[in-house]
Amino acid sequence: MSPVAITVKNISKSFGKVNAVRDLSFEVEADTCYGFLGPNGAGKTTMMKMLYGKCTRGKNGDGSINVLGYDPASNELAIKYLSGVVPQDNNLDEELDVISNLMVYSRFYALPRKAATSRIDYLLGFMELSDKRAARIRELSGGMQRRLVIARALMNNPKLLILDEPTTGLDPQVRHLIWDKLRQLKRHGTTILLTTHYMEEAFALCDTILIMDKGAGILRGSPGELLTKNVEKHVLEITGSQTLETAADGATLQKVRIDRTQETTRVYCDDDQLLRQLAGGLKDARYFLRQSNLEDVFLKATGRALNEKQ
Amino acid sequence: MKNSKPYPCPPSVGRIYPPLASRLFGVWFRHTRVYTKNIFSNGLPPFLEPLLFLAGVGLGLSKYITQSMEGLTYIEFLGTGLLMTSAMFTASFECTFGTFIRMEFEKVYDGMLAAPLTANNLIIGEIIWAGTKGFFFSFAVLCVLTCFGIISLPRGLLAPFIGFFTGLMFSVMALLVTSFVRTINHFNFYFTGFISPMFFFSGVVFPISNLPAYIRPFAEIIPLTHSVRLTRAVCAGQYHLILLLDVLYIIAFILVIGFFAVNRLKKRLVY
Repeated sequence: MSPVAITVKNISKSFGKVNAVRDLSFEVEADTCYGFLGPNGAGKTTMMKMLYGKCTRGKNGDGSINVLGYDPASNELAIKYLSGVVPQDNNLDEELDVISNLMVYSRFYALPRKAATSRIDYLLGFMELSDKRAARIRELSGGMQRRLVIARALMNNPKLLILDEPTTGLDPQVRHLIWDKLRQLKRHGTTILLTTHYMEEAFALCDTILIMDKGAGILRGSPGELLTKNVEKHVLEITGSQTLETAADGATLQKVRIDRTQETTRVYCDDDQLLRQLAGGLKDARYFLRQSNLEDVFLKATGRALNEKQ
Repeated sequence: MKNSKPYPCPPSVGRIYPPLASRLFGVWFRHTRVYTKNIFSNGLPPFLEPLLFLAGVGLGLSKYITQSMEGLTYIEFLGTGLLMTSAMFTASFECTFGTFIRMEFEKVYDGMLAAPLTANNLIIGEIIWAGTKGFFFSFAVLCVLTCFGIISLPRGLLAPFIGFFTGLMFSVMALLVTSFVRTINHFNFYFTGFISPMFFFSGVVFPISNLPAYIRPFAEIIPLTHSVRLTRAVCAGQYHLILLLDVLYIIAFILVIGFFAVNRLKKRLVY
């Protein structure tokens, strides 16, 4: 068993009247990837920021945070020295070019000039940005900026990498490139903590997922566990206004779970034969029978209604 | 929560991150790097501005002002004052508009705070950088004054150091104001209401002894008066014990206002 890299116990945080994080506890094993999954406003970013001292924890007294053996309230510098952070916004220094951005950042870790230069060469190669060394930040595409922010976070060879929505708004090529790089890092002993609201991302990268909603952790487990424990195996998605009741009798409807939005009806059941039968009885509706995925778990757990921050 | 084996990194191994001086240098280095990136457009105006000022006054105004001021010709009087106003203006702009833009628009600070720097390190680095700019801007004025023979050199060389402290004073003041400001337009009040009057009421353009008696105490309260008095004394090589009060004022101002500025601004960076 690998040791625990992060331990968070009973942490809460509020901004004015808004409770951003409510009594959250979790543990992250070293060399694994831990994902926070949740809608906007669920408190994922606030939790991340509390880990490296950008936010102070709430003053509820008994909560505690331990990151790599240090408490951010008393030793944020040690945590920052050992970690790399990829924030939600690409806050690169737009007044500097690519190489200067990284050179300036290397100074914050007091890397000697020679070591910094070779580290930067390596990182630009690793994130496939070598030909953009002299480019201005504004000339970079969104995907390149994101890769540069990740390169910057890797400057001091971090033991822990914290990523806040690493691939939001990026095209599939860049997203897969970033995923590959993160997997490589994990294999070489970097603990990864990320937030996302992309199910595929959580599924592709995370060993453990914590689903958050309204500041609280509501489900946790490996992606496989979350699926088998929380949602039926199969889904029948029906679009259009066809009513299910005409296609199935009461006994069948007892065996399924139905989730309706205005345009779509989703019928959940472990028995795909039953769903197939049900689909056969539909007249001219369009339907689609598939295996259930993390998105179904997510919607079931967090509900379908929008909260005030979404 | 299957296991609770602690992370094998005892917190007692001592400091693993860079020392304070190195962290402050990192912040200073960032600002220097940005400033020197456009060395021509950033570095030339500090020399041109006093040149224009002195040309205008020297060619036009000074022939009407024949009376000596505190024992100096008018051009000497004004020139020594300009050594400090240039430091005041640059530090004030740097830590109002400059700081606000880095904090709210460019989000540069958020990026920096992910590195091993505390919010305090970042703000103090900012203050030292503003002091550096004060030094450089005073130095530029000194170069111009020397070229025109208005100041004699070995003595004048101390002026940029006073410029450094003037930069510190106006940067802590500006940062304190910035900590209150929610929209960038509010800085206009600060410049019109505080910085511009400073130019006229602290003995730069005319001696404060010429002010009505009821305004003179006001002139003693504002920071620029003390920088200007020190600079004139240094440039003329006339040291009096009373100047110690000006030195004390400057140090106390930096420490007290600096304390409030750092603590208030920190709350906007770490919340």
